[in-house]
Amino acid sequence: MALTRDALVKYLEDKARVDLSDVKDDTELFSSGTIDSFAMVDLLVFLEKHTGTKMGPEDITLDNLDSVGRILAFAAEQAR
Amino acid sequence: MSRPGIVVLGTPRSGTTLLRRLLDAHPNIACPPETYVLSGAARFLHEETFAQGLKIGALFGLGYAGFEEADVLARLRAFAFGFFEEHAEKAGKQRWAEKTAFDAFHVPAIRRLCAGHVKFVCLHRHGLDVAASIAELVDKTGGFVEELHRYVTRYPQPLEAYARAWVDTATAIEDLAQAESDDALSIRYERLTEDPEAVLREVLAFVDEPWDDGIVERALGSSENVGFGDWKTYARAKVDTRSVQRWKSLPAATQSMLAEVCNPTLRRLGYDAVATEADDEDARRRYELGLLLGRLKKED
Repeated sequence: MALTRDALVKYLEDKARVDLSDVKDDTELFSSGTIDSFAMVDLLVFLEKHTGTKMGPEDITLDNLDSVGRILAFAAEQAR
Repeated sequence: MSRPGIVVLGTPRSGTTLLRRLLDAHPNIACPPETYVLSGAARFLHEETFAQGLKIGALFGLGYAGFEEADVLARLRAFAFGFFEEHAEKAGKQRWAEKTAFDAFHVPAIRRLCAGHVKFVCLHRHGLDVAASIAELVDKTGGFVEELHRYVTRYPQPLEAYARAWVDTATAIEDLAQAESDDALSIRYERLTEDPEAVLREVLAFVDEPWDDGIVERALGSSENVGFGDWKTYARAKVDTRSVQRWKSLPAATQSMLAEVCNPTLRRLGYDAVATEADDEDARRRYELGLLLGRLKKED
């Protein structure tokens, strides 16, 4: 099942205890400090389980993970 | 005969200070900041079994001196309740209520002293949220009260210690609520924060007090009568649900560990059990991903 934007935002809000109701697809999350390392590790575990794949060092980049839009695109790519 | 006092019981970090402020805003009810009077009385009633099964404590010692247990309890009750009655009188109110969060660690003795003489309002909150909130409190205050320290010395993982404390206190409170069902009402923090008016109406009906328009706004707008209690609630002018389900921000492995401790009690209190899906492999993978993420941070 594809990861939806709503499900991702809800997950990040629960994990990071931040209000993301107005977050834009290109809002920087990790590099801005909105999502800390602990929440990001949770996200990586969540993405692996959701996509059924195992990430390598090449996957863990800001290009793939620093915004809602990038995470959704990365998850969709991984799930293929 | 004057109306019975009201005793609020809830594990620390369960919204008891919020409920205290709401009750104190009622024109008939005076609920002071935390007095520690009932836990003090409970300590007076402390008893232990000495060598060869001999019980020692004030009730037994005074018993040997010719004082009947019922008489000792009545005197202690009059002493403790006297402070609450005098406080209510000074506040120009007809009735007292009392809440001290750490009373939750002394429930059997408080029940022994108060049952049949008060109305109990029992406040429950999700155990994992309580554990997370206690962790925050301890972090900010930099220490433990004696009741919590006992758990910390037994359980090396602080969150497990706080969860164990929640299990014991919530269980004791719910045992009381069920045993004294005519004189006890159980409510939940999550509902109190979601709809304070509805829950307060329920509480006031239970203690036979009329609804009072504007009580919620008055309670939260007042900065008077501030004393011992949750410092955060005094800074808030409205009730919100921000602290509900904060446990979901805990790592999955921590959630699973706490779930093992809390789930039976969560179920008993009507909460959904927390999933226990994390295992050793999850923990290892989490660690590996943390290392990979650390590399990303260095490159950033």
